[in-house]
Amino acid sequence: MDQVIWVEVLSRHRDVAARFRVAGPQALIGRGYDNDVIVDDPYVAERHVRVFRDDNGHLVAEDAGSRNGMFLDRDKTRHARIVIDGERPIRIGHTYLRIRETSHAVAGERTGRQDMRAVPLVLVAVLVVALVATEVLWTWINETGEQRASHYLQPLLGLGLLIGGWVAVWALLSRVFSGRARFEHNLLIALAGYLVFRLYSEFAHFTAFAFAWRTLVTYDYVAMWCVLAAICFFHLREVGPSRLKLKGAVVAALLAAAIAVHTLKQSETFHDLGQQNMSRRLMPPAFRLVPVRDAGDFFADIEQLKLRLDRDRIDAQNGSDGR
Amino acid sequence: MGKVFQTVVLFAAALAGAAPAWAAEPPVNGASAAGRIFAAAPARLLQIRTLVIGAGRETSTGSGFLVGADGLAITNYHVVSQAALEPKTYRLEYTGADDSRGDIRLLAVDLPNDLAVVRLDKRDAPFFAFDQAAMQRGLPKGERLYSMGNPLDLGFTIVEGTYNGLVERSYNERIHFTGALNPGMSGGPAVTADGQVVGVNVAKRSGGELISFLVPARFAAALLQRVQGGASEPQEFRAEIGRQLNAWQADLYRAIGDTGFRPAAFGPYRAPEATAPWFTCRAQTNAGVMPKPRASVDSMSCRSDTGVFVANDLNTGVIQLSHSYVRTVDLNQFQFATFLSQQSQPRLIGGGAYRKWYTPQRCHDDFVATSTVPDRPPLRVAWCAQAYREFDGLYDVAVIAVTEDRGSEALVSRLSMQAVRYADAMALGKRFLEAVQWTK
Repeated sequence: MDQVIWVEVLSRHRDVAARFRVAGPQALIGRGYDNDVIVDDPYVAERHVRVFRDDNGHLVAEDAGSRNGMFLDRDKTRHARIVIDGERPIRIGHTYLRIRETSHAVAGERTGRQDMRAVPLVLVAVLVVALVATEVLWTWINETGEQRASHYLQPLLGLGLLIGGWVAVWALLSRVFSGRARFEHNLLIALAGYLVFRLYSEFAHFTAFAFAWRTLVTYDYVAMWCVLAAICFFHLREVGPSRLKLKGAVVAALLAAAIAVHTLKQSETFHDLGQQNMSRRLMPPAFRLVPVRDAGDFFADIEQLKLRLDRDRIDAQNGSDGR
Repeated sequence: MGKVFQTVVLFAAALAGAAPAWAAEPPVNGASAAGRIFAAAPARLLQIRTLVIGAGRETSTGSGFLVGADGLAITNYHVVSQAALEPKTYRLEYTGADDSRGDIRLLAVDLPNDLAVVRLDKRDAPFFAFDQAAMQRGLPKGERLYSMGNPLDLGFTIVEGTYNGLVERSYNERIHFTGALNPGMSGGPAVTADGQVVGVNVAKRSGGELISFLVPARFAAALLQRVQGGASEPQEFRAEIGRQLNAWQADLYRAIGDTGFRPAAFGPYRAPEATAPWFTCRAQTNAGVMPKPRASVDSMSCRSDTGVFVANDLNTGVIQLSHSYVRTVDLNQFQFATFLSQQSQPRLIGGGAYRKWYTPQRCHDDFVATSTVPDRPPLRVAWCAQAYREFDGLYDVAVIAVTEDRGSEALVSRLSMQAVRYADAMALGKRFLEAVQWTK
């Protein structure tokens, strides 16, 4: 049998910070210079751990009489002996160690990144073009005064800076936590997210006009938060693919909180100012997709509105009585 | 007459802090009509003050005058409105021109005519009588009138002016008095040369010179008669004010229903224009605007002179309607639709602060066809309304309609009604929308 033991010192993020090849039946680990693996951690004993093979040939770590003890990963239970599985690191002092055999199986070879890269770049280009086109079209439709180049360029510049800054922050986080910035992936996420919201918003206004149905416009803030949450989730996935469920749960919880607070704020503003968001966007008459309603039906709805107003009045009076 | 004129001038000088001649002037001795009238006035001319109960000082002042030996006096509703609406916070006091003082009790109000009857604890004092001829036939234009009161709390004054008939564009009857009325004179009497009351000082028009208004004496006489006839004193003036507002609005909308609309042409469209004389209509255009507008807007708007004072922070009762004929110059259909959106945002024109007087606004909008007859363009109609918190059954309503037949031109019509009963608003709104047509 092979007489080599690999000892890896891990960083806090479980990257390998140092790797020692120990030839022989055992590996001695500690702060002293008579060890096979020297760990510069003041909370580690001079001779802290001895790694050897038991009768079955399994690698076993044994506390060599340290004061602070030996633990498995983040557990709080002190162990005198640990049978090594090659995956869960052991902790001595503040240091994580991973011990492996030469026979430790590694994952298969990943396909080279050069081929992967081509797809996002084309996608990014497509999305950028789509986004610029949407913005320019939107500005053009809303330009009812004098035509000015700055009316087109300024929002584009602002949007560019916003998305650029946003992506830069996420790329930096990716770089810090997973070692790779993955700029183009993060850019793709941000662009797609913005475009989705933009299209939703246009669609909502379209339905508000074409079907005289304002629900989508009224709740566009919900859509905005959902898109933002989705963007954040995908960015987080780029930062590190581990613990996706936890990340998803955190993002979902924040999303729920944001929507709740926004709804509360909107209802309070409505009561403080007495006005809903009533901005109405008209479109060319050809965009109408519902039949014109008979005046009688319309005024029946108007009659219903009175009941609503009367309820508001009763609420208002009860409110002031309570004060 | 010269002397009276001087009095006004001297009053102004006193205000400016330099009154050289006033002390040197001989006392008024009956040489002029104004002098005689004013000399007889003191015991029956009043200043009426509204005091904050908790602070013991006045917050506003007006005038008033005795009209009966039993201590009944007339003033404006707006002079006593705070005490009427908030009797727990405000109370009323008077000071006579003869320096008598005392408490006042509010007995009755007439909201549309801005009048109130109060009772003083002052018996057997001389009082003013109403001019019977003026109440029945009116006076000839140019008749000299003398208005009295206590302007700006500076002391009692008499002002000479002329009677100029009734204001032509006012829904509520008002006498056009050409004379200088000032704040604080509200509720004071305007009398003829022989001291008979013709009207009650009520308002002036800012932006004009000496344009002042009086409430005709017959309304004061009618309200007084109601009180003397034993009409019970309202338990709660707030509810009474709501009732009067309601009844007055019902009459107003009946009157509009009777006079109706007449069609006016706007490009290829026809739209209703108010016919009642108490609407003032004006036209507007953006033709001369620079930079050259990319859509032309020619509009007409009418505003009724039916405002009514309810409280210091609530004037209401106005009806406004407007039509804008909008046509593209070089906007495409999408841009034109955006332009129309800016022209047709629904908004209510409230007469007071929202939190105090109104419930939140609610809106409803849809595509509407007012008739199956093919001479009516389809409309996009938004209907917005808010209820009055204090007054049962009254609402502010705004209707905005945009024609939806062509992509390059449209008519934007608005109708705004304040303090209207909902059924009246629906009836008028419906007529208004039905009157938007194509010209054939």
